[in-house]
Amino acid sequence: MKRTVVLIVALLMVTSLFLTVSASEAGKLVIWADETRAPILQEVGTAFQDTYGVPVEVQEIGFGDIRGQLATAAPAGEGPDIIIGAHDWLGELIQNGLIEPIVLPEAVKKEFDPVAIDAFSWGGQLYGLPYATECVALIYNKDLVPEVPATFEDLLTTAKGLTDQEAGEYGFLIQEPDPFHTFALFSAGGGYIFGNNPDGTLNPCDIGLDNAGAIAGATLLDQMVKDGIEVAGADYGMVTGLFNTGKLAMMIGGPWTLPDAQKGGINYGVAPIPAINGNAPKVFVGVQGFMVSAFSENKVLANLFIKDFLVNNDVMMKLYTAGGRPPAYLPTLQQVSGNADIQGFAASAANGYPMPKIPEMGSVWSAWSDALQLIVSQQAEPATVMGDAVGQIKALLKCE
Amino acid sequence: MYSKHTLIGSIIRHLVVWLFIGFAVFPVLWIFSASINPTNNITAQQLIPRHITWDHYVELFTNPQHPYAIWLWNSIKIATITSLLTVALTALAAYAFSRFRFKGRRSGLLGLLLVQMFPQMLAMVAIYILLLNIGKIAPWMGLNTHPGLIMVYLGGAMGFNTWLMKGYFDTIPRSLEESAKVDGASQFQAFTRIILPLARPILATIFVLSFIGVYSEYILARVLLTDTHQFTLALGLNLFIHGQWGNRWGVFAAGALIGAIPFLIIFAVAQHLLVSGLTRGSVKE
Amino acid sequence: MKHVLQIVILGALDAIAIWVGTSLVVQAHYLMAVLLLIGAAGINYVYLSKRAYPMRYLLPGLIFLFSMVVYPIGYSFYISFTNLSTGHLLNKPQAIEQITGRFYTPSDAPSFSYEAFEDDTGDIALVLYGDDETLLYYQGVLTQIDPSDDRLVDEDGDGKPDRFLSYKVMTLPEIIKGLPTIEGLRIPYDEGTIRLDSLREFKLSSRRYSYNPATDMMRDLQTGTVYPNLEGFYTSDDGDELYPGFKIWMGLKNYLELILNPLVSGPFARVFGWTVIFAGLSVLTTFALGLFLAILLNDPYLKLRRFYRVLVIVPYALPAFISILIWHGLLTNMGLFNHVLLQLFHFSIPWLENAFWAKVSIILVNLWLGYPYMMIVSLGALQSIPGELYEAARVDGATWWQRFSKITLPLLLMPLAPLLIGSFAFNFNNFTLIWLLTEGGPPINARTVAQSTDILLSYAYRLAFQGARGNQFALAAAVSVVIFFIVATISAINFRLTGALEDLSKNV
Repeated sequence: MKRTVVLIVALLMVTSLFLTVSASEAGKLVIWADETRAPILQEVGTAFQDTYGVPVEVQEIGFGDIRGQLATAAPAGEGPDIIIGAHDWLGELIQNGLIEPIVLPEAVKKEFDPVAIDAFSWGGQLYGLPYATECVALIYNKDLVPEVPATFEDLLTTAKGLTDQEAGEYGFLIQEPDPFHTFALFSAGGGYIFGNNPDGTLNPCDIGLDNAGAIAGATLLDQMVKDGIEVAGADYGMVTGLFNTGKLAMMIGGPWTLPDAQKGGINYGVAPIPAINGNAPKVFVGVQGFMVSAFSENKVLANLFIKDFLVNNDVMMKLYTAGGRPPAYLPTLQQVSGNADIQGFAASAANGYPMPKIPEMGSVWSAWSDALQLIVSQQAEPATVMGDAVGQIKALLKCE
Repeated sequence: MYSKHTLIGSIIRHLVVWLFIGFAVFPVLWIFSASINPTNNITAQQLIPRHITWDHYVELFTNPQHPYAIWLWNSIKIATITSLLTVALTALAAYAFSRFRFKGRRSGLLGLLLVQMFPQMLAMVAIYILLLNIGKIAPWMGLNTHPGLIMVYLGGAMGFNTWLMKGYFDTIPRSLEESAKVDGASQFQAFTRIILPLARPILATIFVLSFIGVYSEYILARVLLTDTHQFTLALGLNLFIHGQWGNRWGVFAAGALIGAIPFLIIFAVAQHLLVSGLTRGSVKE
Repeated sequence: MKHVLQIVILGALDAIAIWVGTSLVVQAHYLMAVLLLIGAAGINYVYLSKRAYPMRYLLPGLIFLFSMVVYPIGYSFYISFTNLSTGHLLNKPQAIEQITGRFYTPSDAPSFSYEAFEDDTGDIALVLYGDDETLLYYQGVLTQIDPSDDRLVDEDGDGKPDRFLSYKVMTLPEIIKGLPTIEGLRIPYDEGTIRLDSLREFKLSSRRYSYNPATDMMRDLQTGTVYPNLEGFYTSDDGDELYPGFKIWMGLKNYLELILNPLVSGPFARVFGWTVIFAGLSVLTTFALGLFLAILLNDPYLKLRRFYRVLVIVPYALPAFISILIWHGLLTNMGLFNHVLLQLFHFSIPWLENAFWAKVSIILVNLWLGYPYMMIVSLGALQSIPGELYEAARVDGATWWQRFSKITLPLLLMPLAPLLIGSFAFNFNNFTLIWLLTEGGPPINARTVAQSTDILLSYAYRLAFQGARGNQFALAAAVSVVIFFIVATISAINFRLTGALEDLSKNV
C-alpha cells in the first residue's frame, strides 16, 4: 500500500512537470510590474483585450529586480513590452538601449504635472508615462505632537523632550544611514548632488556634498546623535515599527509608510519639513511611470495601451488608492487634493529636487551612505568625512 | 561507543540539548511573532504583539494573485525530483571513483571539487542564454519551465556530494562485490544489489542535503522562472518583501514558517535511515 | 535482458540526437549540430566500448556538470575580457540597429490616416490620406492618387473604400493581427520616411543617424556631426556619446585595472585577511557544534533523541535569506538583543555598528546557519565507524576523551576533510550572509570602498555594481576569476596537506 502511494505521488509529480509550459506568442502584450500594481494592470489589460482582442499578460517581478531582469531578458528577445519603473532609472536604461521614447501627443502631456513629465524626459524626448510622484515629508503623531514645530530647531527641542531611550520612546528619527531621507538636512544650507553643465545636463564631476551647506547638514546630524535624539541602527523597519506602535513622535517618511501607520491606528499628520536655519529644505522627488522596452515587438500596441488605457482618471485613481502616492495625472490629483496627506506631501514636493537619473548616481549613494553611517556611529567628524566621501566618489568616477 | 547513562549524566545531557534547541529555535519564535503581527514588522520588540492577527495566514491561501499553495507544491515537487536524480547521479559517479582505477581519477576528483568554488556572479546570464536556446529546440525544458530548472540544479549534483558518498563506499569492503561476482553477478548488478542497499545512510544524507539546497534556492530560480504560477516558494515569498518600500513581513513570515514544514517532515522520516547503520558489524575482515 | 535494454535506450538516444541534429542544421546552427554529433558519438563509445567502462557511471553527472557549471565559468572567463557594463550591454549589431532605427518626428510633421488592404496571399496595400494629398503604397511603390481613383471600390456606399483591386479592406482586428508587418513598413517619401506612428496614423519622419560600415562611424543627418567608434561608444569630437553603446573586446584591461588601480588594490590585503579568517572560523565553529550535537544525539541511550534531532535541525529548514534578515532585526542596535540588555544591564552592544562586534555577529549567525549541515554529515559519517573498535578500546581501558580523539575524530576526518575544505571554500564566497547581515559594513572610513566585514566577493560586488558608472559586469567577471584562483589554490594546498584525497584504507 505504501509503495503504491509513493508511486502515485511520483507519477503525479512527473506529469505535472510537463503541464506547466507557457508559450509566448506574437501579438501579445507583456507587462512587468511589482505586486502592488500588478492586479490593477491586469484589470486594465482585460479591458484592452476586450477592445482589441490582444491578450495582455502581467508578470509580477520585485521592483528592485525589474532593471536587472530587463537587461538580461530584453536583448535576448524574452523581455516585456511595458515596464513599471522609477524615473531615476532613465539614464541607465537609455545608455543600455533598453527603453524607447513613448509616443504621446502634446495635448496629453499637458494633462500631467510638468515636474513629472520633465523627470521622465531625456534629451528632449519623453521616455515614460508618469503616474505618481513621491517625496518625503515630516510625518508626526498628532497625539504626541499636536502642532507642527515652526522651525527645525524647535522640532529638535520637542523631540528631545519626548525621547527616553531606555523606555524605548523616541521623539524624532531619520532612518539611517539613508541619504534619500537625510537629504533635507544637506539641501537646506545649499548642498546639492550634481551641478549643471551650461547646457542643462548634469555634470557628474561637480559634486556639492562637501560644500558649506552640506557640511552644516552633516554637523546637524552629528549633533542630533550627540543629543541622544538620533540613534544608530534606526533603519526603515525600526523607524516605522516604532511610529506605528506610538513609540515615535515624528519621522521623515514617504506616502508608502502611511498604510501601516493606519493599521496601527496612529493619528498622524503630514507636513513639509520645517525650515532649517531659516532655509526651507529641499527633498528628493521620485516619479513612477510606465516605459516601453526598446526590444518590444508590439510598440504600437504598447503605446496604444499607455495612451488610451492608462491615461484615464479611473485607472489613475486605482493606482493612487493602491500606492498612496500623489498622482502625476492632474485631473486625479485635483480629485484627491482634499486629502490632508496629499496636501502635506504636495507642500513638501513644492520644494522638490528631482532625483538625478544618471548612472553615476550609484557611486554617490554608497559613499554618502558610508559617511552617514560613520557620523551616526560617532566614528568620524562631519566635515572630514563628507570631504572623504566626495573624494571617493570622484576617484570612482575618474574625475580629473 | 556509548554506554548507559547515570541519572545525573542523563539530566545533564537533556539540559545541554535543550540549551541548543533554544539557540536553534529562538529566532524562529521571532518569525512566528512577525507572522501574527498586523503591522508588518520584523524588528518588533515584543514576542507577543499587542494585537494578534491570523490574517497573514489566511491571506496566504486565499489570494489568487499569490498562489502560495501552488508555490509550495512547486518547491516540493522540484526539490524531490532533483534530489532523487542527484542521489542517482552521485551514486553512479561515486561508485566509479571508489571502485575503478582509471587515468585522471585523482585529478578528476580534485577538479570536481575545485570547480564548485567559482563565484557564480555571472552564471545567471550564461545559464539564461543556455536555457533560452534549449527552449527554442525543446520548449518544455527551456526558460520558465520546471524541467529546465531541474536540469540546472543537476549541474551541481556532482560535487562534494560525490566525495561524501565515495568516502562511504570506500569503507564497504570489496569482498562483498567479489563474492557476488563469483556468483555470476555483473559489476552493475553488484552495485545495485549489494552496495546501494548497504549505503542507505549516505543515500539518505545526500537526499536530505540536496532537498533543502534546492528548496531554498532563490537566485537561479529568480532568473529562470517568470510566470507567477511557476514560482517556487522562495521566489514567491520574495515578492512580499521586494515591493518598493512597503515590505509585507507578516505574510512573508507566515509563508516561511509553513514552508519549513515539508523539510522537517522529510528529515524526521529520513533520520531513521541516516543513523540506521544497520549493516555495520556484519562484515568481518 | 540487460543488454537488450541498454541497446534500446542507446538507440532511442541516438534517434533523438539525430532528430535534434537535423533540426539544428535546418536552422543553420552548424556549430551546435557538430557539437551535438560529437557528443552523441562520445556517448555511444562510452556505453559500447569496454575500455571506457568507468565513464558509463560518470557520464550522466558530467553532462550536467559541464553544461551548468563549467560552461558558465567559461562564459565568465570570456566576459572578463570584454567591457560588458552599463552602456555596453548590447553587441555591436544590436546597438547599430537601434541607433540607425531612430526617427525624428517633429510635432508638426505631416500625418496620414489610412486604410489598409490585404489580398489572399497576405500582401498589404495602403492608401494614405494626408491633408493635401492621397498616397497609394502598392507593391513597394508609392504613388500619388486621387481619392476617387477607380481601383478603389466602395461597395456599401459609406464613403470609405472596401476594396482595392482584388485586395479587401482590413478591419481593425485584422490590422492588429497584421501590425508586425505594418509597423515595420518604411516608406521613403519627400526626403523622409513615412511610418506607422500610432494605431490609426502614419507620420512623415526622418532618420536621425546613418551608419557608414567602411569607416565604422555614425553620422547625425540633422547636424552633420560625425561619431567615430571610441571604445564601445560612438563619440563625437566634443565628447558627446550616442546611446546605446556596445560590448567590445578589451583584452586584459579589467585585470590590469584590478592590479593597478589603487582604489581597488589598496584594501585587498585587508579584505583578503578577513575573508580567510571568516571562512576558517566558520568551518571550525560549525563543525565543532555540528559534531558535538551529532555525537550527543546519536546516543542510543538518549530518550527522545529523534525528536530532539528534528528540533535542532530547524535552522536548516528555513531559507537562509529569511533567517539572516530575522537575525539582522534581532541584532540591530535598536533590536531585541539590545532592548533586553538595556533593560537588564543598562548597556547595549553595537552588534552590527561596530567593526569588531559585526565580525562576531557574522560568525555567530553563520554558526546558527551552518551547524545543521555539519550535524547531518557527521551523523552519516559516524555510521561508518564500526562499533567493535569502541568495544576493543573500552576493553583496553580507554577514557571517553581517548576514544573520541583516537578513534572518532581521525576516522571522521578522513571522509569529512574534503567537506571541511569545501565548507571553507563555500564560506570564502559566502556573499549572501555578508550582504544580508551587514552589507559588508560598517564602513572603515569614507575614503575607501572596502568595509570592515567585506569579504573579497562582497567587496568586488560593491566595486562592480555600486562604483563608477552603473554596473560593471566585466570587472565583476574578472574579479570572479581572480577569487577563483585564490580559493582554488588555497583549497588545493589544503587537500595536499591533509592528504584528503588519499584513499581510505580498506581495512577499517
